[in-house]
Amino acid sequence: MNGAQAVVAALEREGVETIFGYPGGAIMPLYDALYEHPVRHILVRHEAAAAFAASGYARTSGRVGVCCATSGPGATNLVTGLLDAMMDSVPIVAITGQVRTELMGTDGFQEADVCAITQAVTKRNVLVSSADAIAPAIAEAFALARSGRPGPVLIDIPNDVLKAAVTDVTSPPAKPFARRGAGPHVSDAAVRDAVARIRSARRPVAIIGGGVRADSVELYRMFVALLGLPHTATINALGAAAPGDPSYLGMLGMHGLKAANKAVQRADLLIALGMRFDDRVTGKPERFARDASVIHADIDATEFGKIVSADVALHGRLDDTLQALIDELSRGHVPRFDDWAAEARLLGGALPSDHVEAHVLSATDVLDRLFAALPPDAIVTTDVGQHQMWAAQRAHPAHPRNFATSAGLGAMGFGFPAAIGAKFAHPAAPVFTIVGDGGFQMCLPELATLRRYDVPVKIVLIDNHNLGMVRQWQELFFSERYSATNLADNPDFVAIARAYGIEAYRLESPADADHLIERFIASRGPALLHCACHPTENVWPMIPAGMSVDDLMEARG
Amino acid sequence: MTCELTLRDVRSVARIVNLAHRFNCRTTHIQAAVGESTTSASFAFDGPAIALTRLRAQIDRILEYETVA
Ligand SMILES: Cc1ncc(C[n+]2csc(CCOP(=O)(O)OP(=O)(O)O)c2C)c(N)n1
Repeated sequence: MNGAQAVVAALEREGVETIFGYPGGAIMPLYDALYEHPVRHILVRHEAAAAFAASGYARTSGRVGVCCATSGPGATNLVTGLLDAMMDSVPIVAITGQVRTELMGTDGFQEADVCAITQAVTKRNVLVSSADAIAPAIAEAFALARSGRPGPVLIDIPNDVLKAAVTDVTSPPAKPFARRGAGPHVSDAAVRDAVARIRSARRPVAIIGGGVRADSVELYRMFVALLGLPHTATINALGAAAPGDPSYLGMLGMHGLKAANKAVQRADLLIALGMRFDDRVTGKPERFARDASVIHADIDATEFGKIVSADVALHGRLDDTLQALIDELSRGHVPRFDDWAAEARLLGGALPSDHVEAHVLSATDVLDRLFAALPPDAIVTTDVGQHQMWAAQRAHPAHPRNFATSAGLGAMGFGFPAAIGAKFAHPAAPVFTIVGDGGFQMCLPELATLRRYDVPVKIVLIDNHNLGMVRQWQELFFSERYSATNLADNPDFVAIARAYGIEAYRLESPADADHLIERFIASRGPALLHCACHPTENVWPMIPAGMSVDDLMEARG
Repeated sequence: MTCELTLRDVRSVARIVNLAHRFNCRTTHIQAAVGESTTSASFAFDGPAIALTRLRAQIDRILEYETVA
């Protein structure tokens, strides 16, 4: 067995079925080992898509996503996807080929110090120096990617190491580092303190974050139902609320729902669960939920007090924390907050949207119709921009794993490849991606990936002939100086899709929307729905960056 | 701010120095002794209180990510 075969054997031991990648010189031995191997390699058309596809796979399945690339440019093309995974706590293992050991440090062809480059965008990276070290390195990478707060890990393997014979074939390899027990145990005293605060609160609100994806959905639903608690979600936790839960107020934050933002602002107690008070959620932290004391639960202790100071910090796995809170509540008086939840709901109202002439397609109207028509088990990914926010406001995913978006990083070009990854993780589920005309053009060649593997991902292209989100900010905050955001010369996306052999539908008139959406959803293979939308529709509501809910805007002017 | 750390990966010393620079803190002292499996390192940093707090949190995260829970 050589090093490359040891890589594939280690992937098999981890239960990996699918990896996303792109070959090249330094990593050729690995591609040779993958030839006609049961571990399925999906050839993307740019390494960035490999990392995003691995992320889509991981986000929607809870399993570790795997991507690989060659040395130098291949590896550097993965960097954005690794940072995206770091920001949103997504477990990914990236394997990169490195130039031969003897060439390292000679500015060799396609040499890059990938470990130095990725130090800040991975939980850990390792340059493997011998074939025998491959198996333990991969075992550790998977364990680390999954453990605690999940995230990306990179393994860089020189070409000669991939080719060298493995001498120690003992398997499975022992994990070569100290384990520290079962992780943090949430403190009983802190749980009692939290429950005492919940019992004496008058207007508590729960905020659920991406931490809920760590197997905590059922317990979260039990917790809020036990109390009749009004609750809201960050974009990474959409789908945490039970379908139809009347005390769920919708997404929180800059483009969140008014009821959610107002309720948080009125709260006397915030129960923040697996969320990290991102500035897109809080606006100006000093003006965020000024009257509330804060219970903050997180697996990552460095989150406590980072932005909002916690009165009670619950350090541990979210499922353990929720179970402990439920148990402690059940031992005594269980307060109900139904009246406050009803009051909180009334703080909102219908989602505001711009008036668009009746004969022109409005993006918000198309998305309203799309979400009404989607099957309940649909998995939706989005790209980044206005369409992302419109989708997040309207989506009602059955589970947080049914919605994937580049939240913390906001990386355009994510949505489409992430949907490809999601589809490989869930071959039976209907998978949709909602993209803008800007972001779609960052990953257009992945249409070839769809065609080659006949992946029935459905692409909803919200084409407003603009880098819409930036255009919106230019309109509102830069005196309508539209610098470099006009995409009026967009190509014919329908023709492009068809050139790749992908079925494509052209939606131009609101009158055709329902029946075209229906045909698009029912189509068998991969398909594109090109929606020619109004160019200047804005996302509302909006809390301008660094402001507070008191500054919430619902329309122009 | 001073910290005495036991690091699993000697490269974390460089990472910590880079982070201090990023947060506009000055690294005023570094001493590291590399052992068989760990590195003992001591650091001193100067800088605005908020930056030092953030630096300390990031250092804690580096330590956390060096091991598997
Ligand atoms: C890789 C990357 N580059 C730039 C940006 C900045 N950015 C955020 S939203 C946006 C506009 C996106 O335009 P489009 O894809 O057409 O979507 P829309 O906002 O129109 O829905 C840009 C340029 C980004 N988020 N990611």
